[in-house]
Amino acid sequence: MVIYGLVLAGDPSWSSIALLGFLAALLAMDDTALAQTWFGQPLVAGILAGLFCGDAVTGVAIALPLQLLLIGNLPVGQTFTGEHSSAVVAAVGATVLAGHHLLPISGPLNWNSAALLGWMILATGLLGAVGHWIIQAERRAHVLWMQEGHRTLRDGDLNRVEALHGRCLSATLLRGFVLGILYLLVLIRFWLPMFNVLPEPALQALGVLPFLIAGLGLGALIEQYGIRACWSWVTGGAVCGALLLWLAGGAG
Amino acid sequence: MTAPNAVKPTGGRLHYGLRLSLFLRSLSLQASWNQQRMQNLGLLTTVLPWLRRQPREITADRLFCRRYYEFFNTNPYLANFLIGGLIRLEDDRNSGQLVPPGQIAMFRDTLGRAFASLGDQLVWLALRPALTLALCLAALLGGIYSVLATVACFALGQLALRWFALGKGYAMGLEIVELLSLPHWHRIIGTLKRVGMVLAGAVLAAIPFLHLDSGPHAGDGRQMLGFGLGLLVGSGLPRLVRKRLPGEGLLLVAVAISVGLTFAI
Repeated sequence: MVIYGLVLAGDPSWSSIALLGFLAALLAMDDTALAQTWFGQPLVAGILAGLFCGDAVTGVAIALPLQLLLIGNLPVGQTFTGEHSSAVVAAVGATVLAGHHLLPISGPLNWNSAALLGWMILATGLLGAVGHWIIQAERRAHVLWMQEGHRTLRDGDLNRVEALHGRCLSATLLRGFVLGILYLLVLIRFWLPMFNVLPEPALQALGVLPFLIAGLGLGALIEQYGIRACWSWVTGGAVCGALLLWLAGGAG
Repeated sequence: MTAPNAVKPTGGRLHYGLRLSLFLRSLSLQASWNQQRMQNLGLLTTVLPWLRRQPREITADRLFCRRYYEFFNTNPYLANFLIGGLIRLEDDRNSGQLVPPGQIAMFRDTLGRAFASLGDQLVWLALRPALTLALCLAALLGGIYSVLATVACFALGQLALRWFALGKGYAMGLEIVELLSLPHWHRIIGTLKRVGMVLAGAVLAAIPFLHLDSGPHAGDGRQMLGFGLGLLVGSGLPRLVRKRLPGEGLLLVAVAISVGLTFAI
C-alpha cells in the first residue's frame, strides 16, 4: 500500500502517536469548545485521521457505521453524550499503525475483515462512552472555575474571567490530547492483539456488528423523524437511490 | 470622561475592531459550559472587549460583569444575533438613551431561550441529520474529498452566519424579536427535515446495494439480515422502552443482537 500520510502506516512510534494525539486534541476542541465546525464529527474525524496516516479508506470504514449510530445524538449542553472524536482518531490511527487495512461496509468486505471492523467499531463506541464520563468531570471542574469567577463580581478584575475561560479551553485541548494518546496505546497494546485470540462465535457476532449498527442508527433516525410522517419520503429516497445506483452501475 | 479608544455607535453599525474581537471570542462561547449557569462565563468573556473600550470605573465594571454572569444558554450558531443586540443596548445606555433597569437581563434571557429553541429545531434536529446523511452517502460512494469539501463549506457558512449575525443583531437591537417571528424559519426546518428523510432512504438503499454489488462474500446473508434487523429494532425500540437511547445505548443493543443472532443461526 502506498502511504502518503504524515504518519507512517505500520509504524507505531512515539512521534506518530504524538501527531495523532495532536489531531485528537484539535478535533476535541472543535467538537464542544471552539467554533463547532463539525470537523470533529466521527465520519470527518475518521477521514482526517485516515488521511493523516495515509489510509483514508480505513478511516471511512470505522467511522461511517459509527456516524450513522450517533446521528441522533444531540451534541448540546446537558444532552451531550460520548466523546467520539478522540476515540475515532485513536481507532483509525491504531488500526493503520498496526498495519491493518479495512474496507467500508459498502465494499467487498470479507468475513474476517468485517469481524476486525466490528471489533474496532466496538472499541470506538466503548472508548467514546468512557470519554463521556471524562467530559462530565471536566464540566464539574468548569462549575468550580465559574464559581471562582464570582470574585470578579466583587473586585472587577476582568483578567481573571478571561483566564478562567482560557483554562477551560486548555483543559479541553489537554483532554483531547491525553485521551487520544491513551486510547491509541490501549488499542495498539491490548485491544488489537486480543482480536487474534477471540473465539469463533465472537468473530461471527463481530462480522455482523458494522451492518447492524448502521441499520440501528438509520432506524433510530427514522423513528426520530416520525415513522408516519416520513415513510413516504424515506421510501421515495430509497427507490430513487437504488435506481440511480443501478443506472450508474449499468453505465459503469 | 471618554477613554481614548472608546467606541461609539456609528449609525447602527458595529466598529470593525470590536466586531472582530466579539466574533473571535464568540467562537468559544461553549468552551466553559457548566451545569450550573451553562454559557455564562463564555458570554461574559465574549462581551468583555466592549467593556475594555469603555472608560474604566470599578463599580460600572462590577455591575456589567454581574449582568452577564447570570444563567445563560442559547444556540452557539445563532448566539451572535443576541450578542450583537446586547452590545447595542449597552451602547444605547452609554449614549444616554433610556434603557430601563432589568431590560438587558430580560432581553438576554427571553431571546436566549427563543434562539436556543429555534437552534435546536433548525441546526440539531434538521440541518445536522440532513448534512450528516449527505456526508455518509458521499462516503459510501467513495467521495472522501467531497465529504471534506462539504464540511468545509458548512464551516465557512456558519462562520459567515456568525459574523453577519453580530452586525445584524447590533443594527436591529430590540427589534431582533421580529427576526424570530419570520415564517421562513419553519419552512426551512420543514424542508431540511424532508431532505434528511430522502437522504435517509438513499443511504438505506445504498448500503445493501453497494455491498452486494461488490461481489458475493461468505456471510452476506447474515450481514444483510443484521442490517434489516437493525432498522426494525432502531425504529421500534423507542416505543418499547418509551425512551430514545443515545448512540452508546444503541451500541450495547447492537452487541446483544449480534451475539443473539450468532447463536440463533
